[in-house]
Parts: sequence; structure tokens; C-alpha cells
Amino acid sequence: MGYYVLKRLLAMIPTLLGVAVLIFLLLRVVPGDVVEARFLAQGSQFVSQDLMNAERQKLGLDQPLWKQFTTWMWGLARFDFGVSMWTGGSIAEEIKLRFALSLQLAIMASTVATLLAIPLGILAAMKQDTWVDYTVRVFSIAGLAMPSFWLGILLILVMLTAFKWIPPMVFTPIWVDPWQNLAQLVWPALAIGYRYSAVGTRMMRSAMLEVLREDYIRTARAKGLWTKLILSRHALKNAILPVLTVISLEFAFLLGGLVVTEQVFNLNGLGMLFVEAIARRDYTLTQALVMLIATFFLFVNFFVDIAYAWIDPRIRYS
Amino acid sequence: MRQIRSFVAIAAVTALAAPFQVPAQQPRSGGELVFPVPSEPPSYDGHREETFGLIHPFAPFYNTLLRVDPFDKSGTKPAPSLAESWTVSPDGRIYAFKLRKGVKFHDGSELISEDVKATYDKIIFPPPGVGSTRKGQYAVVDTIRAPDKYEVQFRLKEASGSFISSLLSPYNFVYKAEIIAKDPHWYEKNVMGTGPFKFIEHVKGSHVVGRRNADYWDKGKPYLDSFRAIFMRDSAAQVAAVRGERAHIQFRGFSPAERDSIVSTLGNKVVVQESPWDCILLVSINHEKKPFDDKRVRRALTLALDRHQASTSLSKIAIVKAVAGVQVPGTPFATPPEELNKLAGYWPDIKKSRAEARRLLKEAGVPEGFSFTFTNRGIPMPYEPLGVWLIDQWRQVGLNVKQEVIEAAAYYTPLRKGDFQVAMDFQCGYIVDPDLDMYKFLSFDRNPANYGRYKDPVLDELYDKQSRAKSAEERKKLIRAFEKRLLDEEAHYLMTLQWHRIIPHSAKVKGWTVTPSHYLNNTLDTVWLTQ
Repeated sequence: MGYYVLKRLLAMIPTLLGVAVLIFLLLRVVPGDVVEARFLAQGSQFVSQDLMNAERQKLGLDQPLWKQFTTWMWGLARFDFGVSMWTGGSIAEEIKLRFALSLQLAIMASTVATLLAIPLGILAAMKQDTWVDYTVRVFSIAGLAMPSFWLGILLILVMLTAFKWIPPMVFTPIWVDPWQNLAQLVWPALAIGYRYSAVGTRMMRSAMLEVLREDYIRTARAKGLWTKLILSRHALKNAILPVLTVISLEFAFLLGGLVVTEQVFNLNGLGMLFVEAIARRDYTLTQALVMLIATFFLFVNFFVDIAYAWIDPRIRYS
Repeated sequence: MRQIRSFVAIAAVTALAAPFQVPAQQPRSGGELVFPVPSEPPSYDGHREETFGLIHPFAPFYNTLLRVDPFDKSGTKPAPSLAESWTVSPDGRIYAFKLRKGVKFHDGSELISEDVKATYDKIIFPPPGVGSTRKGQYAVVDTIRAPDKYEVQFRLKEASGSFISSLLSPYNFVYKAEIIAKDPHWYEKNVMGTGPFKFIEHVKGSHVVGRRNADYWDKGKPYLDSFRAIFMRDSAAQVAAVRGERAHIQFRGFSPAERDSIVSTLGNKVVVQESPWDCILLVSINHEKKPFDDKRVRRALTLALDRHQASTSLSKIAIVKAVAGVQVPGTPFATPPEELNKLAGYWPDIKKSRAEARRLLKEAGVPEGFSFTFTNRGIPMPYEPLGVWLIDQWRQVGLNVKQEVIEAAAYYTPLRKGDFQVAMDFQCGYIVDPDLDMYKFLSFDRNPANYGRYKDPVLDELYDKQSRAKSAEERKKLIRAFEKRLLDEEAHYLMTLQWHRIIPHSAKVKGWTVTPSHYLNNTLDTVWLTQ
């Protein structure tokens, strides 16, 4: 097991290096830069070329690409993300500000998804081809068909029309005011969680159906074991593996991929920061966010693999 | 829908008429004003930044030397601020400003003339390594002096009709000399002014909070206890915030559909103020690309446009309305409609206009179905509807136009390089002023932001003359001549329609007047809430 863990950890290094090279080059291929975005986007006429050149020099954009890359890599090796080209503020601070909200939302949405997907998937499999199964399938297909931001807009409109109320617009950490915090985040969590539960429900249902047809389940039933015991001890443990993968990868995605939902609910999260960084050509911040999210994905994958090995001994023995 | 329109019309008329008919209500103290801001500034330094995202949340922390009268709907009338009065020498070259006594910075120190001098030195003569985006605007300033503790003098190289307007810039926050001397970059990351509100916090990406400055020099003001500016990029979220009464007002502006949606929900709890907006989308024609070097082709492009019809139809769906020349309609130097209608592209008879366009194209040897690319910016409002409209209008004179949309941040790269044929361009000012509004159209060697890339010494001379004109009447005449040459005779640039600013706000908000500029009137000292 120790060797397995070490091997997986070491495999992350070349992956991260590849991501770093790719994002660094891709950003420089895109036309425009942070200086243009900052000084020309408002249609200003008095911005001189000298000022723009001086700004580029200050930001190191006049340096050769290899030098910019090595400077960045040297910073990364020391866990120093540097400063945002847009604000001049510390990137670590910029991310820290948004991380709590994004993480909490990802946890809440994943919890909603898990709480819906696993019981509904099991129920649909157990009651295959009955009205229960059909209802669950319609519910999950509706979830797949509706983008979470659209559901978010609907939620806001319903609250506005029916209750003349919309969620708070400023994030309050849960330890400062739990009620205010939940009043803001519970709605996007429901919108996102429902969307992702749909994928999990369908996955759970089909995995469960497959497992329930296995010989060892038939044997367990023949032995006269309780249905509850068969489900929890034998069927669920085997059927949950693909669902675990889906929900975990979605969790990683939720951290930085909720741009539109964050816009709809005006959430100051990592998704919005990411899009703004790209739109402003803030190379340093975009690079840092890509590396952060790539690392997060790799670690989530890593923990899923470890969980696989823990749940299914065949994996760790092989 | 008809009801909504009637309400909006009534509300707009009421807002316009209010100062003349309704007895002034007694301002009430207290409350927190909440407003969304659609953009967030990179730094806090007004001398360096270009976005209204800085002005809306940070202007309340500062004062400027002069300000625009907060109740003047034209947004052009100078009013005292830190300077309580000023004089101009007979030759128009020396401006002397008397400062108020007893004005205090938020750290308790007194504001004196050295602070104003240091501020303007930083803007006009920035030390090496310090960026000032407005330096070019003050090229006429020779020296700045502080002859005594409460007087500042600006000596100009030559008389300028727009110098006072240039001092009305809401970006020219007055800073403390001692701080600038120690670190000219200090104000990029810190806030400390003399304004009606004191800075409390800025949570990046989220909000800015300001609290009432009890030591404010204008006794009794501000009326509000505090304000909270919430950064909100998405316009649907801004509309929801106003509709849901979580926010009182958004100072930049909403589209007609957004206004209607707010009015339909809030009814008489909302007031709508509207104004022509000192922003306009222009059509930049690259004079270095054939056949656009031929003025007959450029005149045909403007003659094809039915601006009067568009003013009616586009104003229902986009933030544009008035047919305009080089000055915002309704402002002191704007050309009256009957005179404007004599320019090519402004004729009321569109059939005649398009027939002339076809004739000119034929004369210039441009074949029927001639194809060119129109470059547009990837911003939905109002670039998209205006782009579609332009293409449709040009097709009606036999031109085949392909639209190329470029992402907003990368848009100016091809424009600066001249890598386009015809492109959408943009101009937005903090105040309606001929020098500021017409600088854009000077020859390419005088202004690299003239993306038409032409040289026109006659136009340049007219600009310089109007700037130095001794009287308003003489200046008007020169501006008309400039406008005729720019838009008609040479058709260097094309005007689309003047933007239209629509501010539906909570009826609780009082003491705020819409102006043609979304950069003005954000000090919030006169604003109060009824409850």
C-alpha cells in the first residue's frame, strides 16, 4: 500500500509540470495583455505608449519568455505565487479570500448531490420498472437537462415573485453568522447539488442493478440473509465505486468551475476570479489558479484511488 | 407593457420637473445606501485608473479641487469643492484658486495648498516610475504654484477654454503632500482623503464600506450614516438586487428591458431618472485600407445610416437613443437638431440619402455587393445590436458586410496595429467638453487613439482654435466647422447614436441627480434616504 501511495504521488510531478508549461504558453498566445486591458478598455485617449511600455516593464512582460517562465517556476518551487498583475496584491491573499466560499459551496453541493443520488439510485434499482423507478428517472433526467445556473435564476425569480426576497449579496463566513451564511449559500448549493445528483443517481441505479444480478447476491439471498444486510454489506460496497469517482471529480470541478452560478447568485468565488483573471489577461493569477485547481484535481483523484484500494482489496493486492 | 412605459415616462418627467415644482424636502440623516458596482478597480489611485469601478465606491472618500454641480442635469456646471472660489487672469493663462480653511484629512491633519500642488504635480508631472493616465490631458499646464497656505495657481502655456472642465475630473482626488513625498505609490493600496465618508473596508471581489465623516468640512453633510458598494458583474444579479430591494440604486445604468422589469415589480417604490449619456460607439474607418482612403466611400457609409429611425427602434432594446454630433445633445456646445440634420448621414429623407450613397460608391468605382469586414467588440450591450444595425444599413446600399467579433480584452490590439477595415470604436467622457470629446479625432500623429489613422491638419487647426476661442459663440462656430469636416465633408469617423443612461432607483433615495456621465455625482454628500 505504501509503495502504491508513493507511486501515485510521484506521478503527480510530471503532470503538474506539463500543466504549467501548457498554461504558460497558452496565455501568451492569446492576443492582448493586462496593460491593454487596464488602460485601453475604457476608451481612454490620453494613455501614452510610454506609459504602457513602462507598465509592461514593471510587470516583467518585456522579459524573454524563458526568463518569465523560470521566474515563475522558481516562485512555485518556493510556494510563492507572486502578485496579481491586475491588482498588484498577493495572489495567495486573493485566492484565500475566495477559497472559503468556494470550498463551502462545493462541500454543500456535493452533500446535496450525495444525499439525493445514493438513496434515489438504490431505490430506483430496487423498484426497477415500477412507478418509483420512473419517478426517480424523470427527476434525474430533469436534473441533467437543467443547467444549474438556470435553476438558480428560477429559484431567485420564484423567491422574488412569491416572497419578495432574494438571498444576501455579500458572503458572511459560517463562523461569523451561520444563519446569514446559509441564507446565501443554501440556494446555489441546491441548484448545483440537484444538477450533480442527477448524474450520480443514474450511475448508482445502473451500478446497483448490475451488482444485484451477481451470483454472490443470489447466494446471499438463498442463504436467507436480510435484504437490508445484503444491500449494505454486499451490494452497496461494490456498486458505490463508480459513484464515488463521479461525485469526487465533480467536487473538484465545483471548486473553480461554477462561473455562471456564481454570477447569478453574486458569489465571490474562485470561478469568477478565474474568469476575470483570464479576461484581464492577469497571467500570474490565471497561472496560479490553474495550478491550484490542477493540484486539487490530482489530489482528489489520488484520494479516490486510495479509497478504491481501501474499499476493494483486489486493487491494493494487484 | 404600455402601463410600464407610461409609468416610466411619468417618472422620468417627474424627475426632470422635480427641482422646479416640488418644494424641496428636508434632508433626513441616517441610513446606509447600498449599491451594486459592475466593475472593480485594480488599485485605489484615481490618478492612475480609468474605470468607473473606482469612482463609484471610492469617490466618497475624497474631494477634488472643483466639482460639477451635483444638481445640474447637464453635468457641465462647475461648482466649488475644496476651492471655494477662483479667478482667471485677463490673458486667460493664470488660474488662482482660494482654498477652504479648516478642511481636514481623515487622519486629522489640515488640507493646505501644498497638498493640492503635490496632487496635481503627481498627475501632470509624475516622477519616474509613477503612472498617470491623465498627464496628456494637462499638456497646456506650465507650472503649479502654492503662493500661500490657502492659494494654488496654475500657469498655462496658452489660454484654454477647457481648463476648468479638466479640473472637474472626478478622478483627481486630492491627496496629502507628505504621503506622496514619502511614497508616490501609497495611494494605490491605501485610502485617505478629505471626503464625506471614511474608508472602513474593502473585501476584494465583494464590497467596499464607508462610514460618515463626522468632521466633514461641509457642516451637516453627509446625510447618510454609511454606504456599502457591492461588486456585482452580472446585470441580472444587479437587477435582482434592486428588484428585491437589497440595493437602492446602481449608478452606471440599466437597459430599457431591465428598467421595465424593475418598474413592473416595484411600481411606485421606484423612480426612474434618464439622461443622454456621454458615451458613444463610433465607427472607425481605416484610411490606410482601400477603398476607405476615398472620402466618397466613407461618406457613402454614413449616408446609408438611418439614424432617426434607429433612434426610435433601437432605443427600445438598447442603451442608445439620441441622434448626436460631437457633443451630447442638450449640453452647451451641442449642435441643434435642425442644424445637425443638414450633415451627411443625418438627413431626414433616408431615400435621398441612400441614393446619394449609391451614387458616391459608383463614382468611386466600388462595385455592387462589395464585401468588407466590420470588426466588432465582444460585448453584448450595446455593441451587438448596433453592429447588427450597421450591417443591415450598409447592405441597403449594396454593400456586403461580414462581422468579425473580437473578445473585449483583445479588442484594441488589431485597432492599434491598424489591422482592420472598418471597426466599432468607443468614446466615453467624465464630462461633456469640446476639448475632451473632440481630441479623439485629431490626426493620428497627434493622437494614436485615432484608429482611423488619418492626418488632417485642417481639422487639427479647427480643434486648436476652438480650444483657444475667446467667447462661447466663437467656440460654437468653430465646433460646428470641426463637426462638419469630421462627419460630413471628410467623413473620417461615423457616429452611431448617443448612449442613453437609465437609472431606476428606490424612491427612498433623494438628493441625487442623473447627469450625462456615470463618472460624476458619486461623492454621495448630498444623497439621503427617506427611511
